[in-house]
Amino acid sequence: MEKENTPETTIPSAPTPQPAPIKTMKEKDIKSVSVKQRVVKILVQVGLYTFLTILAISILFPFYWMLISSLKTLTEYNETIPTLWPRQFCWDNYVTAFTGELNLGRLFLNTVIVGVVSTLLSLVVTIISAFAFARLEFKGKNLMFGALLATMMIPGELFTITNYITVSAFGWLNTFTVLIVPFLVSVFYIYLLRQNFMQIPNELYLAAKVDGTSDFKYLWRVMVPLSAPTLISITILKMMGAWNSYIWPLLVANDSAHKLVTVGLRGTAFVDLATNMINYPAQMAAVVIVTIPLLLVFIFFRKYIMRGVSRSGIKG
Amino acid sequence: MKKQIGAVLLAGFMACTLSIGLTACGNKAKPDFVMPEGGFDTETPVTIKFYHTMGSSATSAGRSLQAILTDAIGRFNVLYPNITVEHEQVGGYPEVRDRIQKELTAGNQPNLAYCYPDHVAMYNVGNAVQTLDDFLPGGAYENYKVTQADGTEVPLAMTQEQKDSFIPGYWQEGYGFGDGSKMYTLPFSKSTEVLYYNKTEFDKNGWKAPTTWDEMEDLCEKIDEKYNGSGKPQTYGFGYDSEDNWFITMCEQYGSPYTSAEGEHYLFNNDTNKAFVQRFAEWYNKDYFQTRALYGGSYTSALFTATGANDEKTLMCIGSSAGASHQLPAIDNETKKRPFEVGIVPIPQVNVNNPKAISQGPSVCIFKSDDPQKVLASWLLLKFLTTDIAFQAEFAISSGYIPVLKESVIRTNETYAAELDSADGGDHLAALSVKVALEQENSYYTSPAFVGSSKARDEVGALMQAVFGGTKTLDQAFKDAIDECEYYS
Amino acid sequence: MTKEKTEKPVLTDEQKKIRRKAIFNRYKAWLYLLPAIVILLIFTVWPIFNTIRMALLKNYDSMKELGGMSFEFGFDNFVSVVHYNKFLTCLGNTMLLTIITVPVSTMLALLVAVALNSIKFLRRAFQTIFFLPYVTNSIAIGMVFMTMFQMIGNINNPVSLGIINSIIEALGGTRVNWVNVGSNYWANITVLAIYIIWNALPFKILVLLGGLQGVNKQYYDAAKVDGASRWRIFWRITVPLLSPMIAYVVITGFIGGFKEYSSIVGIFGDTMGPVGNKGSLNTMVGFIYDNIQENQGRASAAALILFAIILVVTMINLYVSKKKVHY
Repeated sequence: MEKENTPETTIPSAPTPQPAPIKTMKEKDIKSVSVKQRVVKILVQVGLYTFLTILAISILFPFYWMLISSLKTLTEYNETIPTLWPRQFCWDNYVTAFTGELNLGRLFLNTVIVGVVSTLLSLVVTIISAFAFARLEFKGKNLMFGALLATMMIPGELFTITNYITVSAFGWLNTFTVLIVPFLVSVFYIYLLRQNFMQIPNELYLAAKVDGTSDFKYLWRVMVPLSAPTLISITILKMMGAWNSYIWPLLVANDSAHKLVTVGLRGTAFVDLATNMINYPAQMAAVVIVTIPLLLVFIFFRKYIMRGVSRSGIKG
Repeated sequence: MKKQIGAVLLAGFMACTLSIGLTACGNKAKPDFVMPEGGFDTETPVTIKFYHTMGSSATSAGRSLQAILTDAIGRFNVLYPNITVEHEQVGGYPEVRDRIQKELTAGNQPNLAYCYPDHVAMYNVGNAVQTLDDFLPGGAYENYKVTQADGTEVPLAMTQEQKDSFIPGYWQEGYGFGDGSKMYTLPFSKSTEVLYYNKTEFDKNGWKAPTTWDEMEDLCEKIDEKYNGSGKPQTYGFGYDSEDNWFITMCEQYGSPYTSAEGEHYLFNNDTNKAFVQRFAEWYNKDYFQTRALYGGSYTSALFTATGANDEKTLMCIGSSAGASHQLPAIDNETKKRPFEVGIVPIPQVNVNNPKAISQGPSVCIFKSDDPQKVLASWLLLKFLTTDIAFQAEFAISSGYIPVLKESVIRTNETYAAELDSADGGDHLAALSVKVALEQENSYYTSPAFVGSSKARDEVGALMQAVFGGTKTLDQAFKDAIDECEYYS
Repeated sequence: MTKEKTEKPVLTDEQKKIRRKAIFNRYKAWLYLLPAIVILLIFTVWPIFNTIRMALLKNYDSMKELGGMSFEFGFDNFVSVVHYNKFLTCLGNTMLLTIITVPVSTMLALLVAVALNSIKFLRRAFQTIFFLPYVTNSIAIGMVFMTMFQMIGNINNPVSLGIINSIIEALGGTRVNWVNVGSNYWANITVLAIYIIWNALPFKILVLLGGLQGVNKQYYDAAKVDGASRWRIFWRITVPLLSPMIAYVVITGFIGGFKEYSSIVGIFGDTMGPVGNKGSLNTMVGFIYDNIQENQGRASAAALILFAIILVVTMINLYVSKKKVHY
């Protein structure tokens, strides 16, 4: 992974003038080139880090905001000019978040169950579908793929009413099934994985065919490991989907045994009924509580898989 | 599913025609609800679903609203042990409406639910709400009895005495649909708008809280002269967060048309309304008031309670009577006292002899069901919750809402009486706001509810903002609002 | 999926075996696709049919249908959508935001992904940070953007300028009314574009980084031996090898862009415009939402119109990518 494919990150709009000086350098004597190259390399690294740091700060800021908001008093939070650092730390918000009869543990467990099961099933469906589109030849493949893409283009909000009638006819209301099955197939992910599969050289597939390896074996032994980073991306996105979904779960599974985190947090548990003013600090505290384990799991997960990928040496 | 509903409706219709024959000789009105043989069955278990928005966290004033409800249901179950009440907090009011809308199409709606008038107008399009007239004094089932678990026999319908204990303005809200001849909802808990003012500062200057908009104008001029000599920080006369409430209330106070439930819906484009919007826009340019949206920050109550030397402030604030706790300045760390005393009066009027103030807060409606026992059980629960003094009192204390029962009735609850008597401009501000709200029980109005009434509300609010902010001319703003309403009607 | 194994023992005759194998091979792909197809038929295709039905019934509303009303059949809903006096506003906003945000966010994401791939020190830290938006509460994100751009107080004499305006003034510029009452359309669009790009970035980085890690390192080694410049490597090797992923990000970006709605609500609330100018930033999906409560017929018609637009744009995208994408 540590190769020198560094671009000049700061000036994307001017690709052509850049190569010229480097080319002329090539013609000069080798020593001065190596010095100049080193200078360029350092400059590039500085540029890279500046670029990444600026973006990282802009990304960290809302996260930081979430943390400090969870520690402000409601009065301070509602002040007209927001403070960047809480005047006094109000840990009571965390007490409120825990004691508010809001069963955070249960909400979290439900979300994990739905997240894990739907992610696993969805991965299987996505892998085999993407494989069919990427490697198998069949009549109407392009038409089928086009139709699949087309389904992404209709705003999904319109499906809610019809799907609600369908799942209630199936008797699926207030079950985990209703939270998992309707969203198992994501055309977005199938498409993403298909693109990744397409990156894998066709020669590998043909060689495997010659060796008499079955498609299925080839898929699991070669393609899946090679696409691990993309599969991780899908896993993360899918898990986060379970974490962020709100409208559908609120509609179809709002009982305590199946309620998901967002439904619990966004409900009126933290709303002052009288004025409709939301107790954002307490809500943010609850959000932080449920975010932390999630963050840890993902940091660990990502690290572990990354290591696994680089060790297996199939990266070529 | 739809077939099922159709069958139920058909059966209901047939039963209705039948019952016309039966009751034709009496002089009672034709019932909308078909009483099953033997009336309410106190033996067979029956389960009913109740959707609301009551939170599960403890409120600043006491226990969580859900806990209070659960208690009340416990007492209800002592009387009717065969009724199981499944109650559920479904997000906020829009979530309740959206969910029921979808459930109605699938036929699995709840039996009773929190509602605002425009929700009921929508459910009525689907012909889904049970009218309540049959269960009221003078209704078809006035003389039916139910035997409670303790052996006493009580009327199934509401007694005249119970009906009289409601605040009449709130009771009347249930008739605000269609031609107004039928009652669709019972009031559950209510609030209104009141004027909070900085009593300490007012007393210092010898000012009196305004009772009319003219007085308000004079006062704002005085405030501007006194405080705004040298640029920043500004002190504004008053803050008002809800432009839409303001517009609708002004229409009511002037007696000028706003909307109509029947015929032409959107009537607010008229000269009276243009005149008051124009007047307030001039006020805005003179820094007499701020609204949340125009100011760009948090609620204007934050300006009202601000005390720092460099803070911008308002000396008055018009807001919900149920939001008193947000209008109370925080206790100062050094002096251990509140920086100023808060006073509460009714909102300014056009004509003090014909006062008008908005009535807000949830009512409850009962949905039609293919099982008449569920409707009856729902009715019993609704009657219990709205007339049970202990529940109404405790709910009011915890939520800051006004109970729907008259003050004389609710005062029989000792805790509540004590709470009302403790009213002051400091720690017990909530009680003061309820007291002031109760005093104006004859001022309450609600605007007509129809499909699209919430659109009109959104549009008149946006219209006020546009004119105040100078982004549109008066005529253009009114025209845009009407166009938008009519396109969506 | 494992049908191949069960097929084998049945055979007795070599010919039969080959023929069966051929038949199986012909339908094998469909077998792989079966689970996806079944679920899509129930939860996507059927609702689409229902959408078409609603779109063809004049002013269809499920509540009215429940109440026993019937609806006129025809194309009235489509006419009524196009005749809305803000239809062109909605369409224009949607297109403008898409055309600005998709190329910019894709380019930025590509640069970040490549940069992340070419540093060693703090690499994991950066990767983790770029992952954070996924666990940051969306309410917090909206709040932050408001605080950054919003002025507070009387607009002519504000008490607080917001972080961005404070920076602009510190650098000697004049403050801009970004989002407050009376703000300029292009100022609004700028804020929205920044917000949308910011929101889209993490997902694109994740996808492109994943794609980069799947790229065969040998290409780079070969290029290095040849002494090719960084830019050359970037444009001649990285971009072509990543092209399937870039195509994916661009195409889904366009589709998502045309469905833009929540970011406008996030900044301006559901009035879909700055205070005093309700609806000036409304989009096609926003228009669908405005109708979904009480006029699902019109909402469906608007959705189908939007669908047709996205379809055309995607076809063009696919056509271009077929020519440019290197598989």
